[in-house]
Amino acid sequence: MWLRLIGCVCVTAACGGLGIMKARQWSDHRKMLEQLRKMIYLLRGEILYAHAPLGEALRRVGDKSSGPGAAWFGKMAERVRNQEGDSFYTIWGEELDRQGKKLLLSRREYQELRELGEHLGYLDLDMQDRTIALYLEQLDMSIGFYREHERERIRMCASLGIMSGLFLAVILC
Amino acid sequence: MADSELYTAADCGRRNGDRKEEILRIFPRGLREILGSAGTDFGRLQEIRLRTGRPLMIVSGGREWFLEENGRLTAWPERAHVVSREEMVRTVECMGNYSLYAFEEEIRQGFLTMPGGHRVGLAGKAVSDEKGIRTIRYISFLNIRLAHQIKGCADPVMPYLQEDGQVFHTLIISPPRCGKTTLLRDVIRQLSDGILAAGKKPGDRTGGKSRNETAGRGFTVGVVDERSELAACCGGVPQNDLGIRTDVLDCCPKALGMMMLVRSMSPDVIAVDEIGGLDDLEAVRYVMNCGCRLVATVHGSSLEDAAEKPVLRELVRERVFQRYIVLSGRKSAGTVEEILDENGRLLYGEAMTGKTASDRAQNRKDSSFFCGDDHTAEAGSGERSLLCG
Repeated sequence: MWLRLIGCVCVTAACGGLGIMKARQWSDHRKMLEQLRKMIYLLRGEILYAHAPLGEALRRVGDKSSGPGAAWFGKMAERVRNQEGDSFYTIWGEELDRQGKKLLLSRREYQELRELGEHLGYLDLDMQDRTIALYLEQLDMSIGFYREHERERIRMCASLGIMSGLFLAVILC
Repeated sequence: MADSELYTAADCGRRNGDRKEEILRIFPRGLREILGSAGTDFGRLQEIRLRTGRPLMIVSGGREWFLEENGRLTAWPERAHVVSREEMVRTVECMGNYSLYAFEEEIRQGFLTMPGGHRVGLAGKAVSDEKGIRTIRYISFLNIRLAHQIKGCADPVMPYLQEDGQVFHTLIISPPRCGKTTLLRDVIRQLSDGILAAGKKPGDRTGGKSRNETAGRGFTVGVVDERSELAACCGGVPQNDLGIRTDVLDCCPKALGMMMLVRSMSPDVIAVDEIGGLDDLEAVRYVMNCGCRLVATVHGSSLEDAAEKPVLRELVRERVFQRYIVLSGRKSAGTVEEILDENGRLLYGEAMTGKTASDRAQNRKDSSFFCGDDHTAEAGSGERSLLCG
């Protein structure tokens, strides 16, 4: 009897934990997007106001930031500096593929970020400004969506976890 | 080396391997492979020319070659690799470090400076507005002129440029591609580092201690590098060695830059390339009246030729410049034809050695530009009555 009771508690706790973990992922995702937005704002400043070439701008932003985004920027800056003969879009895409999982991006967000690299460095400052502004708009919409649904999502995940745990416990008993 | 030749390509101190790598990094993968396997000595490479839809060309050791797909040199354009639009776009992207927006000013002026001091001339469709050229679109023509700083090339002329610790106001006169900028660069370096070239003079066959450099007084040199040719600044850092006491004002109009340097950097010597504009006259006078010495260059094949320019005519008449160095490409780029003082007296020249005295006497009959009368100065005396002031 006691053994069953302990088992039920464990199953409920594990399922509840899973639900809470899933809810936290949602929150982490939002935080990651906000971090990315901060980095893109910095990059925009380096390009528009310091007129820094992309390699230099990426390195400076990478140095000022932390997390997987900083590592990604740092790696791209290194490859731009090494002048390996690849196009910037290739460098951006390859490094994004390498760091993509750590950035916790959805398929759509990943695609938007990839497209940003296609137009960076192309033509004049005005073009850079517009390209980055467009991406920041997309990013703002994503962040807005995550923020708007964060509370209900956390509640839902946590509740679903606990409820499914209880359900499993009832079945097992 | 011929006596009056300042340098040959072999004098270039840059190591071939480093230079090759430095040059290849400018290009995207495909072109990099072709150029990398080219059977040419990168130390002697002078130019690489890319034109969309046209054969890939190089100029090496003064000779023009086309490059085949496998990098082999050929004299036949139909065998050569044809540069595609895609390759041109990728090359411009690589040269601009994927950031053409950061080089808008340079593109407007029609050139980019690469690490190593190599200069890329650009041509395509110029987009202009009421303020002038805004940018160049559809860049379809590239001329990569490879840097070849030649340390020591000014050794033969340095003894003529200084006396009692003072530098003479000097004008270097040369046709295009005959080495005036290269010579000026080394003059700047030697003045700045305080190197007194004690030995070799042009024409000195026996006593010349080539490259014999002894320590002398170093001068603070201010360089106005309007087209980034002298210092070849990349990211604000000179890629050429202009000496330890040299301050460079990069991409600045000459007239404005000369005045700025006098006010802000207190130079002993100011060096500028290619003077001749109306704005320059006032700036040159300002510099000289401030006690600075001026070393400048101008396009021309002789003193008479240079003095035909309205601004220089006045300066020559006023005997502002104390030394004139005339270069030509007769034997090779950088051949010193003559060195004259402010009175037009020949301090060095073929006429002094008597090699082509009759030619020069004939030439001088035509040099009545200044006074309106014939000049029949004795070739052997080295005297020229150019200046009637």
